[in-house]
Amino acid sequence: MSADVGAPEGGGHKKGPGVKKQARRDTKVDMTPMVDLGFLLITFFVFTTTMSTPKAFKLNVPDDTAKEEEKSEAKASGAFTVLLSKDNNVFFYEGQLASDGSNFKSSNFKEIRDEILKKKANTPEKDLVVIIKPDETSVYKNIVDMLDEMQIADIKRYAVVDIFPGEVELIKATQASRPPGGN
Amino acid sequence: MSKLNKIAKKSTWVDMTAFVDVAFLILSFFMLATKFKPPEVVKIDNPKSVSSENQPEKDVFKVSFDKDGKVFVSFSSDKEGKEKAQLTAEVLSRQKGLGLTPAEISTFIKFSVGGIGVPVTQLKSFLALSDAEYKSFIQPGIPVQDTLNNQLNDYLNALLTGTGGRKPENVMLNGDNATKYPYFKNVLAAFKKNGIFSFKLITALEGIPAGTPLYKKRRDASK
Repeated sequence: MSADVGAPEGGGHKKGPGVKKQARRDTKVDMTPMVDLGFLLITFFVFTTTMSTPKAFKLNVPDDTAKEEEKSEAKASGAFTVLLSKDNNVFFYEGQLASDGSNFKSSNFKEIRDEILKKKANTPEKDLVVIIKPDETSVYKNIVDMLDEMQIADIKRYAVVDIFPGEVELIKATQASRPPGGN
Repeated sequence: MSKLNKIAKKSTWVDMTAFVDVAFLILSFFMLATKFKPPEVVKIDNPKSVSSENQPEKDVFKVSFDKDGKVFVSFSSDKEGKEKAQLTAEVLSRQKGLGLTPAEISTFIKFSVGGIGVPVTQLKSFLALSDAEYKSFIQPGIPVQDTLNNQLNDYLNALLTGTGGRKPENVMLNGDNATKYPYFKNVLAAFKKNGIFSFKLITALEGIPAGTPLYKKRRDASK
């Protein structure tokens, strides 16, 4: 038959009646403490681990000292200006700001994307430039969100520019006329 | 009735081996995947962006600003970062007449991993702190509010003078959600003044909204 050499099972029977058969020990080990420890460590690592690694968002800024002729001229008709203010307020106007402020509109971070896309759709690509003007009360998050919108809308040309005093006045007037807490 | 009585008492023993296997598998996953956060002296809540590029680790020069507009500079703890931190400290000491000792310069390198946010004039006394004191010391931040006395400019200038105009590979900007725009503007002004026009903002990941041009572009690219 098979090549079982000296199978020990058969040997047990041949022992005399006086030889006590050794009791079979249970090889089962209580693993409960080990599991406890294992899960304790898992919990520790789950809490300390940082799953979402920070990302890098590339930003290039223009050289202010560049010669005039090197600066790319923006056509007024292709300009889309976004103004950022406190409490995540967003305002915008297309082209140049009308002297009476009639094309100065109020928006928010949800609706501005559609406005940008609308502008993008009916402006030749070479003329389109989005100008972001944060005021003194806007926060870093607003600026990054707006730069992010540029990525989302795939805008090639955009710039962060200082705000004009006239625009600050318009923002203040709009914010003052608005019911508090409204957006 | 008799059937019910005949049910043998079953052992309550459960074989936990498989359970342990799974537990330790998960444990090893987390142990390998974990990367501990580098020590930070300030709590900074980054804004979100759709950028999916991972934050670089090597040769990093980072400028952080917290919600109160306190500005800190830090270098990565690798060889290039340490070298640049050393050069910055040496040049800063020479330019501003701080008279930093070699021991203080090595302290600068050590502290620069976590972040240094003191005006240039306080640098010498700041570098006299012990490690434990450094952790509890509330740094005032590098003054940037005043355009005429934008001291981040001094730090950047020292860095670029030290390296002979060679910019760190990764210039990072680590800003808090709630930082007011003027602080950001002044930090940018210091960068521009020193000829650094390209840098990276540290952000958290955010999904790309469906239907937008970027979404279409990415989808077409992955086809």
